[in-house]
Amino acid sequence: MINDFDFTRPRNVSEALAALAHDGCVVPVAGGTNIMVNLKRAPLDADLVVDLSGVEELKSISVNNGRVRLGAGVSFAHLLDWHPGAAIEGLMHPMCVAFAGPLIRNLATVGGNVCDASAAADISPPLLALDAAVELQSAAHGRRTLPLAEFFQGVRRTARRPDELLTAIEFPQPAEDERWFYYKLGKRKADAISIVSIAITLRLEQGKVEHARIALGAVAPVAMRAPEAESLLQGESLDETVINAAAVVAARESRPIDDFRATGAYRRQMVEALVKRGLTEITQQST
Amino acid sequence: MKKQTLNFTVNGRAEAIDVTPRTRLLDALRIDLGLTGTKEGCGTGDCGSCTVLLDGNAVNSCMVLALQAEGREITTIEGLGKPGALDPVQQAMVQCGGIQCGFCTPGMALSLKDLFNRNLEPDEEEVRVAISSNLCRCTGYTKIFDAARALRDGTLDTRAANGNDDAIGARMVRTDAVEKVTGSAIYAEDVRLPRMVYGALVRSPLPHANIMSIDTSAAVNHPDVRAVVTGRDIEMGYYGYELQDQRVFALEKVRYLGEPVAAVAAVTPDAAREAAALVKVEYEELPAVFDPEEAMSEDAPLVHEDPNAYHLDWESERKGNLCYRLEFGEGDVEQGFAESDQVIEGTYHTPEAHSGAIEPHSATAMSDPTGRITIWTTTQKPFAVRSYLAKALKRPISTFKVVPTHIGGGFGGKLFPVVEPYVVLLAERSGLPVQMTLSRDEEMAGAMLLRHPSKVSIKTGVMNDGSLVAHQVRMLFNTGAYGPYGPNTAALGSLMAGGPYRIPNLEITGLVTYTNNVPKGSIRCPSGPQMAFAVETHIDKVARAIGMDGLSFRLKNAWEDGDATCTGQPLAAVSLKECLQKAADAVEWDKPSPPGAGKGLACNWWVSGTWGTQTLIETNEDATFRLISGCVDMGTGGLTSSVLQMAAAGLGVPADSIQIARGDTDTLPWDHGHGGSRMTFTIARSAYEAALDLKRQLLEEAAARLEAAPDDMVLEDGRVFVRGDPSNAIGLAEICYNRHKKHGGPMVGVSSLLDDQPPTTKAHPIGGFPAPSFCAHAVELAVDETTGEIDLKRYAAVHDVGKAVNPTGCEGQIEGGVAMGLGLAMMEELREVDGKVLNPSFADYLLISAEDMPPTQTILVEQPAVDGIMGIKGVGEPPIAPPTGAVANALAAALGVDVTHLPLTPEQVSALIAGRNP
Repeated sequence: MINDFDFTRPRNVSEALAALAHDGCVVPVAGGTNIMVNLKRAPLDADLVVDLSGVEELKSISVNNGRVRLGAGVSFAHLLDWHPGAAIEGLMHPMCVAFAGPLIRNLATVGGNVCDASAAADISPPLLALDAAVELQSAAHGRRTLPLAEFFQGVRRTARRPDELLTAIEFPQPAEDERWFYYKLGKRKADAISIVSIAITLRLEQGKVEHARIALGAVAPVAMRAPEAESLLQGESLDETVINAAAVVAARESRPIDDFRATGAYRRQMVEALVKRGLTEITQQST
Repeated sequence: MKKQTLNFTVNGRAEAIDVTPRTRLLDALRIDLGLTGTKEGCGTGDCGSCTVLLDGNAVNSCMVLALQAEGREITTIEGLGKPGALDPVQQAMVQCGGIQCGFCTPGMALSLKDLFNRNLEPDEEEVRVAISSNLCRCTGYTKIFDAARALRDGTLDTRAANGNDDAIGARMVRTDAVEKVTGSAIYAEDVRLPRMVYGALVRSPLPHANIMSIDTSAAVNHPDVRAVVTGRDIEMGYYGYELQDQRVFALEKVRYLGEPVAAVAAVTPDAAREAAALVKVEYEELPAVFDPEEAMSEDAPLVHEDPNAYHLDWESERKGNLCYRLEFGEGDVEQGFAESDQVIEGTYHTPEAHSGAIEPHSATAMSDPTGRITIWTTTQKPFAVRSYLAKALKRPISTFKVVPTHIGGGFGGKLFPVVEPYVVLLAERSGLPVQMTLSRDEEMAGAMLLRHPSKVSIKTGVMNDGSLVAHQVRMLFNTGAYGPYGPNTAALGSLMAGGPYRIPNLEITGLVTYTNNVPKGSIRCPSGPQMAFAVETHIDKVARAIGMDGLSFRLKNAWEDGDATCTGQPLAAVSLKECLQKAADAVEWDKPSPPGAGKGLACNWWVSGTWGTQTLIETNEDATFRLISGCVDMGTGGLTSSVLQMAAAGLGVPADSIQIARGDTDTLPWDHGHGGSRMTFTIARSAYEAALDLKRQLLEEAAARLEAAPDDMVLEDGRVFVRGDPSNAIGLAEICYNRHKKHGGPMVGVSSLLDDQPPTTKAHPIGGFPAPSFCAHAVELAVDETTGEIDLKRYAAVHDVGKAVNPTGCEGQIEGGVAMGLGLAMMEELREVDGKVLNPSFADYLLISAEDMPPTQTILVEQPAVDGIMGIKGVGEPPIAPPTGAVANALAAALGVDVTHLPLTPEQVSALIAGRNP
């Protein structure tokens, strides 16, 4: 017989943490758009569902001491309405517009997209390019912070312990002269799952690369940075030779697979092409 | 069950209902509150038909647990506006023709409402984005964009939704628009009966295997189960269309992955699925064959032991896995090739595709103690459902009463019973009403019949002056494990194989093979998009080879009046050159595109469908009328606009005095069904003739009472009088009342129609096309040469409809067809590997979204047909064929490549770029 799960709707974070500390299989749900997709295909194997959609504390965005803090319950529609400045908007707005469609954007949350840990999760490349960290809390162990790249552990696996709640995502406010690039390649203009997505942030100091962060989605088991390509760029001026070399290295670093959306070979080719396009556009960006 | 109380506000009213935590908001609204205007198309957040406003924001109600709505405010379509007091958004959709099948309509209206709540002056892009989560398979979104524009600009026509201009050629608003836009139209899954239980199927997990044993005991013993049935429990016959090779359940062996082996009914859909998983079937796996060429080799595994054992309406060689073979020609192609200046060859591939109807298959059956069975279902062919069931279950046709519901998109996917046999058997065994609705996964994975994938090889001889000399075509269609429509697809395709061109030497071969893939059917314009891609792409290749432009080459070779088709059908009312020229002009054909961009053309011809029908128009006592036809409307609106317009014109009364009877196969006259581009060509004609018949009777009645000759009588404004003497008139209402209540009885006008096929000179199973229609499409696109993405800049579709009885309806068919054809050109593909469909969802089988639809110019040409009535030609199917060829040709022009495979995904285009000669 299909066992029905219990359902609880905490009003604040401490009630949510208490609920997550229950024994058995406890499933937190916010926008619901990840678990609901499978509800009719296979019974949700849970003892308790904790509905976070009523926890207002999780829905705010703030900037303090140069750090941006996105509550885990912020929806993609909310993120699209947020205007924090060129670099963040330059990454986040096209990502939000490419994220599913408006109906899902009204439900889905940034925390949910991060916790789903799909290789193709749209929010991951912009957050990785912004050097984001996640904040986790539990009733038993309090609060800890983890770089996003470490949070992702494998295909749909994260470092979140069952009693932990992802409460926020934080990243340093980009400099005024931060440059950026974002592109999502799909099979349809609206509401398509990524074939490849890419986010880059980069800052030049006296014409040389002070830092470069290249983040890639849907080309490895989890969203990834391209550290070798980044270090190749470090301290260099962005001429065609350097850009091409970084693009080749980023493509080599990617580990795409073949599936019905695209072959691995095409994905790798697109990593190279889009890193090249991104870095080239960045050289032309006025800051 | 651990039920909890949910307190929330729905359409302004406080509600408290007890639900289980598993209950979705969608189910709480539909089942617990009976608000069935909210529809379920996928259950996975990919189609938007379940859109509601949650605290004012449009969301998918399938993505929300009901208990998450605690304390919140929900607006469903029932809360938006009522008939007579429609919300402006609803009014705009009604008046601009933004409604066809109506299944996506409630969600679409609510997404537009959300947009206009936030933004009173949305630009075109904002409108496209706002409805990009709401898939519409019928309209091509264009008339929905019109509705948003009219709303924004305040240019909404203020005519009432009904009682507007009903003249032939007027843009009459379809009479079911209000019902659909308010969510009150009843679709198959909205049917609810007391004590109803739910069915689920046990499907084969293997593509080819012997069934060694079936053990149903665990399912039978499940406390929630009410019936279990397998093929071993019943008597089964073979059924199908031209070819009858299918049975309700696999018996000795399964031939495709997903083939039904058993069915169960239980008290909830979840319990039914759970119980289906308890049926233990032991299989012995057999070698399988998936490639249609391999299937024809001597040593290929046999899908059917003897294909000749099955009834086929037509003559054909059948052996091994060859399901059907067709061959005919004209002249001598070999000699033609020898005489040609150049001979061009090419092979073209199209993938397996889905109808894409947003409404899944659903049916409900109830059996009465005398053995009579009533079936409520979403079908294009209610009368065929009866006859298929009769064959499949070996009963007389009269056993079954089929009640057609509104159809949430048909497109050929609802021509054939898919769930009906199972609900019948389960209802009989359980003694309870049983409903079965396919999941989106089942729907996409081949539970219904799909569009045939094709491989078409063409060899064409041409002179350097552009004359076509010889043309040899080999078509190969993989029909999968069963081929009820395989022969028909090849036969239709063979009529497209030479295109609409004059070619003296022709050789056409059509092959249909069985494989262990999922079965294929007869999807809108069967073989049309496949053949338009192959032939029209090849024709451009031929033109390029001799240095001729695609337009000039087509104009030189296109059929004209007096030409004959490949089967020798003499042609008249041929408008092909006009269509081609207008399509080319619409995209400024002579103006070169910038680098990386290109323009393409494609044209086609198609049938105006006949098949038998009968229409009755009967008087009511008050001189309103009942129009009684057994043809259902799959969503196009032909029945609720152009058929009524024609009936009104024939009778000489306003269309709003004629009510379309909604009935069932017990009460409605027999009809072939909605398909084959026949609604206006045949049903509207039949309605017109029935109306003339009734009008004659009305005038005779009046003439007798006025002691005048019937020929001198005039009917005007509901009164009948002798010509020239309007002061001495009898009201129609008086005539009708008198006939109903005093003497003679009600009057009824009748028309029974079935025209002969047009004459041809060649033996061919189909022969010719009655009142052939012609069309040409043109597109301009740009290619991102880095990624391979295509950006459609502008699109033009020119269709000769003979006579546009309702131009809005014609345009709606064309725009929706363009969207479907563009989907087939650019993104639609069911990827099947070893018999398993890898992408059975609307997340991974992509339909064109509102953001993808290019600016589209729709141009109607009216070259009156010689056959039929008033010059009308069919328009339902042909618009989906040319987009495949037009896009391929524009891409070839942009990149200088030969296009050979669909769909043209970024990766496919990228491969073409990589393979291009430098």
